[in-house]
Amino acid sequence: MSIVRVAIPVPVPQLFDYTCDHAVPTDVGRCVRVRFGRRIETGIVVELPATSDIAPARLRPVEQILRDTPAMSADWLALTRFVARYYHAPVGEVMALALPPELRRATTVDIRDDDPLLALTPAGHTALNEGGRPSRARRHLAALVEAGPTRKSVARQWPDGDATADLLRRQWVYPAAPANPALTPPKLPTLTDEQSAVLDAITTAKPGFFPVLLQGVTGAGKTEVYLRLAERSLALGKTVLMMVPEIALTPQFESRITERFPHARIVSLHSGAGDMARSRGFLRALEGDADIVLGTRLSVFTPLPRLGLIIVDEEHDPSYKQQEGVRYSARDVAVWRAHHQAVPIVLGTATPSLESWRHATDGRYRHLRLTKRAVAAQMPTVRLIDTRRAKLDGGLSKPLIEAIGQRLARKEQSLIFLNRRGFAPVLACPSCEWVSACPHCAANRVVHLNDRRLRCHHCGFDSPIPIACPDCGEQDLQPLGRGTQKLEVHLTERFPEARVLRVDRDVARSRGDWLALLAKIHAGEADILVGTQMMAKGHDFERLTLVGVVGADAALYASDFRAPERLFQQLMQVGGRAGRAHLAGEVLIQTEFGDHPLFQCLKRQDADAFARLALDERRQAGFPPFTFQAMLGADAPQLEDAIAFLQRARDDAMTDLPAALMLYDPVPMRMHRLARRERAQLLVESTERAALQQFLGVWVPRLYRLPAGRELRWRVDVDPLDV
Amino acid sequence: MELAPMRYTPGGVPMVGFVLGHESRQVENGIERSVLCELQGVALGDIAKTLSTAVAGMEMEAIGFLAAKNQRSKMPVLHLTNIKFVEGNEHGLQAEEKG
Repeated sequence: MSIVRVAIPVPVPQLFDYTCDHAVPTDVGRCVRVRFGRRIETGIVVELPATSDIAPARLRPVEQILRDTPAMSADWLALTRFVARYYHAPVGEVMALALPPELRRATTVDIRDDDPLLALTPAGHTALNEGGRPSRARRHLAALVEAGPTRKSVARQWPDGDATADLLRRQWVYPAAPANPALTPPKLPTLTDEQSAVLDAITTAKPGFFPVLLQGVTGAGKTEVYLRLAERSLALGKTVLMMVPEIALTPQFESRITERFPHARIVSLHSGAGDMARSRGFLRALEGDADIVLGTRLSVFTPLPRLGLIIVDEEHDPSYKQQEGVRYSARDVAVWRAHHQAVPIVLGTATPSLESWRHATDGRYRHLRLTKRAVAAQMPTVRLIDTRRAKLDGGLSKPLIEAIGQRLARKEQSLIFLNRRGFAPVLACPSCEWVSACPHCAANRVVHLNDRRLRCHHCGFDSPIPIACPDCGEQDLQPLGRGTQKLEVHLTERFPEARVLRVDRDVARSRGDWLALLAKIHAGEADILVGTQMMAKGHDFERLTLVGVVGADAALYASDFRAPERLFQQLMQVGGRAGRAHLAGEVLIQTEFGDHPLFQCLKRQDADAFARLALDERRQAGFPPFTFQAMLGADAPQLEDAIAFLQRARDDAMTDLPAALMLYDPVPMRMHRLARRERAQLLVESTERAALQQFLGVWVPRLYRLPAGRELRWRVDVDPLDV
Repeated sequence: MELAPMRYTPGGVPMVGFVLGHESRQVENGIERSVLCELQGVALGDIAKTLSTAVAGMEMEAIGFLAAKNQRSKMPVLHLTNIKFVEGNEHGLQAEEKG
């Protein structure tokens, strides 16, 4: 009878021992079904200890070891255990997060390639050579011979693609083994001198951990650098992990990879993929059956036995940080993983996060640059429009309206960027004090005039617009402020001849909607785009030459110390959409604070100047990356309960607080009420990461033993983004 | 009378704003005098629809109440609860035929 130590997804920071009469060392990393309380849970065997602290008689037996599924690798176990350790989360919860859904449910997954390469069988060649009646099937066969082995999904897109199933049924084609994953189409784009230099610097580095911050201006061809690096890795028989902030937003990126490497086994992991597809991808990766893994933050947990390179695109993007459950930063975990598995990692961006930029200037990361655009002759010009005294027409200044008019006359596209969806951010009563506050949150419900609803963008509470003010009966309620819907209505009235297209999460609800919208824009079926941050990321629209930024100043009023950094990154990114091909681009930013250093850096498109400036401010204020933070958050139906818990946690820490640690007072969070729960926070800060980690290692386990009401929930967020 | 174009409240109720002109002779402290004034007004729902078919310069009898314009301006605004065109529907019909 042996003992197995199992990680189970329960909110308790410990492992659980069970007995098993047939466990063998290769069972470490395998999923097991175990009884926990009255439930059956799926856990993972992490060790086979010789003895247990629990008396043998009290140990329960394992229900089942799932031997049909391969065991998780030692690397994967080390990775998840590191994440649990660093983010002070229960290891069972981290492993459950990292496992795809079907494995958690312990269903069997068919891992056969569902998109095989198709090649002609001898029968297929015979059928083709016999000539015979020129059918669709024969035309399709001929096309396949011409192209060589081709992915089924690609062949289906061809003119006679409908015949694909027919060819398979007649056994004229068969799923062929991929020959060479590094194979690329014969004609590749010519590299610029800068791109070549970057490639040389990375490829000539000695093998092992090699972190690179690739800082390239928008349109500099970072993707081409990624693809060349990937090609090299594939040629060495290694797997490439490519991470992007949000795959659904950038289908272009995905298709560029599949087109470049037609023979590579590409696993695409993102929340848009179905549970089964994700599980299949994960298992294929675990078996070493994936050449390229492309995915969002969750993909950092993919087991990759042949890992050779990690690429993190748009490394500054806040969506790499998970904001619920286990609050990990996928970028930081990726860096740890590259270090642990001794592979190079490339962090690419036009506007580095201050953390990465500092590492690069300190020499911890190699700082490589692309300073010129690859295709376009030049960077777009950036102009600031002072709106302090200007008379605005529906929120738009005269120069911006004129610029849109010019683009219309030249049949080019304009993008007006306003990062606020809905018609207006608040509905207010002109006769009394009533505003459309959300009953469950410390926020206002947003007016969605098209479907006459008030929606809370925080908790999702949705109700019809009232006919009259609930307090005083006034019917002429006023939508205050401006969202994309209002801007769209105004632009349609102002430019009746133009085709105005709004692009935000309300129009692009599904991936299908979004692809259709993108296709429409590419086809030039829209003249003026009104978009939120969805439009900012990675897109390449040939005829888009004007980007107008409206309502950017709001972010300057935010109390979050990271708000300026994010605003700068966002505006640089959205500005980068202008003039990416052969037409010159222009960016117009409406602001009341044209003298603000942020806008001055933006005008010069100088990310380095901004980083220096922002880092100076952070250093003076003692903010990250010069200090290290963790936040203990608590929420409860009553604010006093949340504060009281944090106060107990603070008192507990104060009994033996190390000198390098600093504890603030418990305070209500900025969004102090969310979905009927009152929220408070306690910030912990240290000048040393190690000291902070050491403190958390002692303090967090003690928090589990503090008295807390039944309704109270708490969590620790290490390196929090929102403070 | 001046009429603004009809619009809808966020709740979807038709609404029209107008300026009502008034001209008459009244007796004040025993002496007759002429009276000339303008009053901002608003109508909602069916009254707004009826009113929006009217043309400026038409005469009508209006019944309603006064309410402050908004929180900042306490200027009164006439909210119509009933209207009657002085010469029946003729003006309205004529206006439609002409239009």
